[in-house]
Amino acid sequence: MLELHQVHKTYATPQGPLKVLEDVSLRLAAGQSLALMGESGSGKSTLLHLAAGIDLPDQGAITLEDQNVASLAEPARAKLRREQLGLVFQQFHLVPSLTVIDNLRLQARLAKRDDADWSGYLIERLGLTGMEKRYPEQLSGGQQQRLAIGRALAPRPSLLLADEPTGNLDETTAGKVLELLLSLVRETHCALLVVTHSPQVAAPLDRCLRLSHGRLLDAAP
Amino acid sequence: MTRVLSTLLSHYRRHPGQLVMLLLGLWVASALWSGIQAINATARDSYARADALFDTQLDQLERRDGAPLTRGEYYALRQAGLPVSPMLEGEVVTQAGTRLTLIGIDPLTLSSDNAMAQANTSASLSDFLTPPWQTRAAPDALAALGVARENASGATPTLADGNTLPPLVLAPALPPDTLIMDISAAARLLESGDEITRIVAAPWALAEAPSGFILTRATTLASPGQLTESFHLNLTALGLLAWVVGLFIVQAALGLALEQRLGMLRTLRVLGVSGRSLVVALCLELILLGLIGALAGIASGVWLARVLLPDVAATLGSLYGAGVGQELNLPWHYWVGGLAVSLGGLLLAGSGVLWRAARLNMLELGQMQAWRGGYRRQLTLMSISGALALSVALALYGWLRFQPPGDGLVAGFGLIAALLLASALWLPPFLALVLKVLTHLAQRRPLIHWAMADMQLQLPRLSLAMMALLIALATNLGVGSMVGGFRLTFLDWLDQRLVAPLYLNAPSEQYADIDVWLADRPEVFERLLTRRSDATLQATITPDGSRALGTPIELYGITPGESLTPHWPLLAIQQDRSSAWAAFSDGAIFVNEQLATAENLAPGDRLTLSAPGANETLTIAAIYPDYGNPRGQVLMASPQLAARFNAPPSSMGLVLNDNANVDAMRAALRERFDLGSDALSDQAEIKRIATEIFERTFTITRALNVLTLAVAALALFASLLAQARNRRQQLAPLWALGVPRAQLAQLNLAQLGGAALVTGLLAVPLGIAITWGLVAIINVAAFGWRLPLYLFPWEMAITLATAVGVALLAAALPTLRFWRASPRALLAEEANQ
Ligand SMILES: Nc1ncnc2c1ncn2[C@@H]1O[C@H](COP(=O)(O)OP(=O)(O)OP(=O)(O)O)[C@@H](O)[C@H]1O
Ligand SMILES: [Mg+2]
Repeated sequence: MLELHQVHKTYATPQGPLKVLEDVSLRLAAGQSLALMGESGSGKSTLLHLAAGIDLPDQGAITLEDQNVASLAEPARAKLRREQLGLVFQQFHLVPSLTVIDNLRLQARLAKRDDADWSGYLIERLGLTGMEKRYPEQLSGGQQQRLAIGRALAPRPSLLLADEPTGNLDETTAGKVLELLLSLVRETHCALLVVTHSPQVAAPLDRCLRLSHGRLLDAAP
Repeated sequence: MTRVLSTLLSHYRRHPGQLVMLLLGLWVASALWSGIQAINATARDSYARADALFDTQLDQLERRDGAPLTRGEYYALRQAGLPVSPMLEGEVVTQAGTRLTLIGIDPLTLSSDNAMAQANTSASLSDFLTPPWQTRAAPDALAALGVARENASGATPTLADGNTLPPLVLAPALPPDTLIMDISAAARLLESGDEITRIVAAPWALAEAPSGFILTRATTLASPGQLTESFHLNLTALGLLAWVVGLFIVQAALGLALEQRLGMLRTLRVLGVSGRSLVVALCLELILLGLIGALAGIASGVWLARVLLPDVAATLGSLYGAGVGQELNLPWHYWVGGLAVSLGGLLLAGSGVLWRAARLNMLELGQMQAWRGGYRRQLTLMSISGALALSVALALYGWLRFQPPGDGLVAGFGLIAALLLASALWLPPFLALVLKVLTHLAQRRPLIHWAMADMQLQLPRLSLAMMALLIALATNLGVGSMVGGFRLTFLDWLDQRLVAPLYLNAPSEQYADIDVWLADRPEVFERLLTRRSDATLQATITPDGSRALGTPIELYGITPGESLTPHWPLLAIQQDRSSAWAAFSDGAIFVNEQLATAENLAPGDRLTLSAPGANETLTIAAIYPDYGNPRGQVLMASPQLAARFNAPPSSMGLVLNDNANVDAMRAALRERFDLGSDALSDQAEIKRIATEIFERTFTITRALNVLTLAVAALALFASLLAQARNRRQQLAPLWALGVPRAQLAQLNLAQLGGAALVTGLLAVPLGIAITWGLVAIINVAAFGWRLPLYLFPWEMAITLATAVGVALLAAALPTLRFWRASPRALLAEEANQ
């Protein structure tokens, strides 16, 4: 499903090159779930971006659904993201010009996999019933995050990548949103990679890895 | 306060581009506005001086039999106790080749409140009256005389014919092309002997014309000021347009600068700066920037005026015969006014920003939501104000329909302005509606759906620029069609009137001999003799009754033969063309459109015309177009004009047989009658000269038009740049969802190109309406004749292409920046907000 093999990533900064990831390898099988933890600045988001093809590694190979992401041209990488991946960001990144329902169905429509029943079901499960015609700014933070999860799941991706999906929410809400996320992931049998600070989030997942200074350590939850 | 101000200004250190844009807008707006005002002020000053001089202030006497006036007649009138004064007028040519009008006066008999008698000099009367006499000249005539200003006083410039002028005295109140001296000095220079040009009297000093003379009252003489008023109104309207469009730029730049400083303002508020001192600081910032922009603008406006002034002077000279100085002459209120207009505009453009800053919400909650609702309210307000503007336009139109033709110049411009305003105000609601419908229709096409929905969100920030674009395009189209139509009509008309390949201009006493000689030449098909003479329209007799007038007009005689009559354009006739021409040959008259418009005449009406030695009442058989002529003209058959008014021949057109040799004919004529080189002119040459004058006439209009469009493009560019960052952050999530970058860039261009296309499409009917207003209302009000409405599909296509091109160009840079920035960084950028 997803495989990183000896991946290196360095950023050029005014103070010279900054090594963010060093010799990172990991493997995630279909339907599996994995938590990625580590202190701030350790390179978690960078790893996620590389996995999604949003950024490219300096060295090493990233394989997604048997395709080498780094060797793909930009349109092909976009197609891969559109059709195989679901992305949930800490900052939601909802489209302000579209209504709730149009936001939810956006990626599915882009991937030509729009399914009215499925999105209706998602709306219901995410507790957004009755808000379909609202605009994103007319939702609370938790509702916005649920909508972002719905948007990522609407095209039935084979891999869901989530970067601190509950980082912007209070603890109770975070717990509820996470529960919802996990149960929906299980329903769709998609693989899951979550970046998180929270052990509670990591606990129910199949595996947990820890990043430290750009290196991957196996870690108990 | 200074701390707050410097904190606010520190923003521009990080965003110098915004500062440049802001100053650019201010600079463009005030440069165009003040440039045009400088031209207007200079021209007005010239007219005012010409007006004050004589034409409109003195009554004139001419001999009834048309013979030249002599000193003897003047003495006789004086001896009879009449308060008259002699005047001698002629032309002198300077060494540089400039023609100046030389006027000889008698300061002792000229009424002392006349500008010519005073001319603002302090020199004593005896120096003026006695040898070596004095020449009064305006400072702006010095260049033509080849005299430097420092040593102008007392200089004695030499003329082209070798004579020297009497010592110069500066008289700033004189028009730039006029020299004044004592009548005896003028008589020597002009070698006029015993003849004088006119006998004048103070207005209404004579109760009636002495026997043997015709009296023309001062008020019936046309003044250049009236004739050129429309031209200046035109210029002012264009200047105002440029100013408004420039302020759109300022508005966009200010909006951006505020938007990006909202965080800073909020922080300052939280840190304890009161809302009021924040507004005061912003005001100070505006005034500071405004002063810089306005001063730069006024400086370059004066420069612009200096560049355009020769063309303007040439245009006014050829169109109306009004002399305009080639040097700028700016009164003090020009400078103050320019500054006030620029600063006023800036505060107007900035008022929105100040308002928003004053109501700044320290908690940013629900900002987007409030804004969405606010914009909806704004759209409603726009629709209502647009409807109001349209009702004003309709009311003006209704009012104009019941006005006598010739009036309503200002109302005509008001009508066009109201129309433009209504359309501009309706543009954003219209675009919003179109987008809403399209968004709805594109449900199945996710990207197009997004693009439409996104455009709705962009609209509030773009609408001002789109309005500016609409106005600029429509004006461009309107003025372009008007100029193009004028051109076609004019050239057509020239073709119809200039049917002979060869035109003869000889001394009038020679025509009889030439005519006899030509009659025997087999290659001459027809001789078209013209005659002309001045006359006074004493009265009109219409079905509504008769009306006494005293309007000076021109009598023009043509030969209604086979060559001329089939092509001569006629606007209104009583029955059919052939009976009109038959009546014409028998002594009926045609009048030109300007006269018909001014006096409300129709075929069948009768006119009483008087000229020295004649008084006739004649019937109008037709009305004909007479483009570019500021005067009223009455057309008669040449033989009739000779018989009734004793008018001298003025030119002769020679229509030759098909295989005749034009050059041989010309040579034979010159040889036989000893004619000068300029006595015979080719039709082609005449057309060339006429067309050249005409082309120059519209250079300025065109230049300003292009400038306006450029300014609109700049406004669009500024607004797009203003939201570029914001746009990039909205595009980034889409990219993350798997939309390729190229597609996003294309969509971005398509959105703006489409909006510009819709705006351009709307500009087409609006432009046609403006053309119509210009040719059917403003032209009639200004010149007394109506132009046919011509449309140029090709030009419209170009305008449309320009609109789209301008938008794409303006969108290209922000798009390019999006293209080049890594979306990954953009995602992070948003995270930082
Ligand atoms: N575009 C960039 N240019 C230079 N350095 C970068 C860039 N993006 C990230 N970095 C640096 O790379 C390092 C890893 O960043 P990353 O965003 O992956 O951290 P993170 O583990 O997600 O941290 P956090 O938990 O705070 O989100 C940081 O030190 C960051 O400063
Ligand atoms: Mg991170």
